[in-house]
Amino acid sequence: MLTWVIYDIVKDKPRTQVAKTCQRAGIMRVQYSVFLGDLNANEIDELGLKIKSLIDEETDRVYIFPMCKEDFSKVRLLGEAFDKKLVTNEIRELFL
Amino acid sequence: MQLVLNSPGAYLRIRDGCFHITVEDESKLVSPKKVESMLISSAVKLSSAALQLAVENNIDVVFLDKFGAPFGRLWHAKLGSTTRIRRGQLVASTSSEGLGYAMRWVQQKLDNQIDFLTTLANKRPAKQEQLGVYISQIQVIRDKLKIVDIKNESTPTQADSANTSNLPLAPCPLPLAADSLRGLEGTAGRIYFEALSFVQPEQFPFHGRSRQPAKDEFNCILNYCYGVLYGLVERGCMLAGLEPYLGFFHADNYNKKSLVFDLIEPYRIWAEETTVYLFSQRQVKKEMFDKIQNGMTLNKEGKQVVIAAFNERLDAALRHQGRNISRRNIIQFDCQAFAQELLKIDLEREPETE
Repeated sequence: MLTWVIYDIVKDKPRTQVAKTCQRAGIMRVQYSVFLGDLNANEIDELGLKIKSLIDEETDRVYIFPMCKEDFSKVRLLGEAFDKKLVTNEIRELFL
Repeated sequence: MQLVLNSPGAYLRIRDGCFHITVEDESKLVSPKKVESMLISSAVKLSSAALQLAVENNIDVVFLDKFGAPFGRLWHAKLGSTTRIRRGQLVASTSSEGLGYAMRWVQQKLDNQIDFLTTLANKRPAKQEQLGVYISQIQVIRDKLKIVDIKNESTPTQADSANTSNLPLAPCPLPLAADSLRGLEGTAGRIYFEALSFVQPEQFPFHGRSRQPAKDEFNCILNYCYGVLYGLVERGCMLAGLEPYLGFFHADNYNKKSLVFDLIEPYRIWAEETTVYLFSQRQVKKEMFDKIQNGMTLNKEGKQVVIAAFNERLDAALRHQGRNISRRNIIQFDCQAFAQELLKIDLEREPETE
């Protein structure tokens, strides 16, 4: 399922840790505080628990929300945007 | 996804628990969760931590030589399953059971060949008649397989009577059955490739199989796809706890992964379909190949086209035993099912043949 992770985190250290946690989970940074990628239900739960343990729930805000494929196809990207195919796991092989 | 490192001088290491790949000035972070396998086909710097991360995430790391043939692979230093499966495999290999399995795989292979040629014939009215001849020739061999099977079923009783009467053992009939199976399979293969050569476009002729090096474009692509498939089957064996070197049908030899050769038979068709369709859809260009001594080889651009096409086929789902599974996972699924069958074998029983 395509999942957006969007956050506002006050302190530097937990903010960096959340970003790295998202990266490790296999989702892509599409903006400074926004990650997007394809995760299954278990991975979403796992990521949620990890982030919860890192943030201060009094001051920080993290939104994890899934989006269906149909809606994602309607997403419009302006400016220097991310690679839609890379985010949705449509790229089966990466040549480097 | 499959990570293909084929830029000389690339550097693979880890950063923040992800693979960090640097190619010249560019760098990329890739989560290990997104990588299924890694193909390293040129001079690449690797850090041991990156290899550890790959092993811990069950990522198959395969090193390829300049012809695309694997010369090494990295796997964790554990069996990952029970040795009981390998014992069962050993018992099966000394009895008619093993050959029975091999028979099943060869039958499946011939059925696939017949189906594929029929599909090709239906789409090519001009060549339908000649293809029909090839199909019926393979069908004849397919029927002969059943006769081998009958001989094979009588084997245990012969061996049993030899055991009970304390007479010197009769010469083991199993190798004979294996020989005739090998012979029939070989003949079917020759007819089949003749048929594929018949539908090949004129500018890319193909006259029979050639390996190391491939003599024509068709063989280049086919060998490359077989190589990928071979890696997948070996991975399937390892994950299921099967012993890749102990086969039932292909001859044992030094360093020969006989079981992988046995198990690959029903899946070869995917490589063949990919190759034939690449040609018939005019995706193959002369620029995709480099001339080498005595033959030719796929170059970097060629490999990209072939891997992309083959991966697309492997990821497409098929109906398999009542479920929709991707072709890639069917291999794994079948290996696991086969390991389960081997677990049921009674290890204490008397051997059938000496």
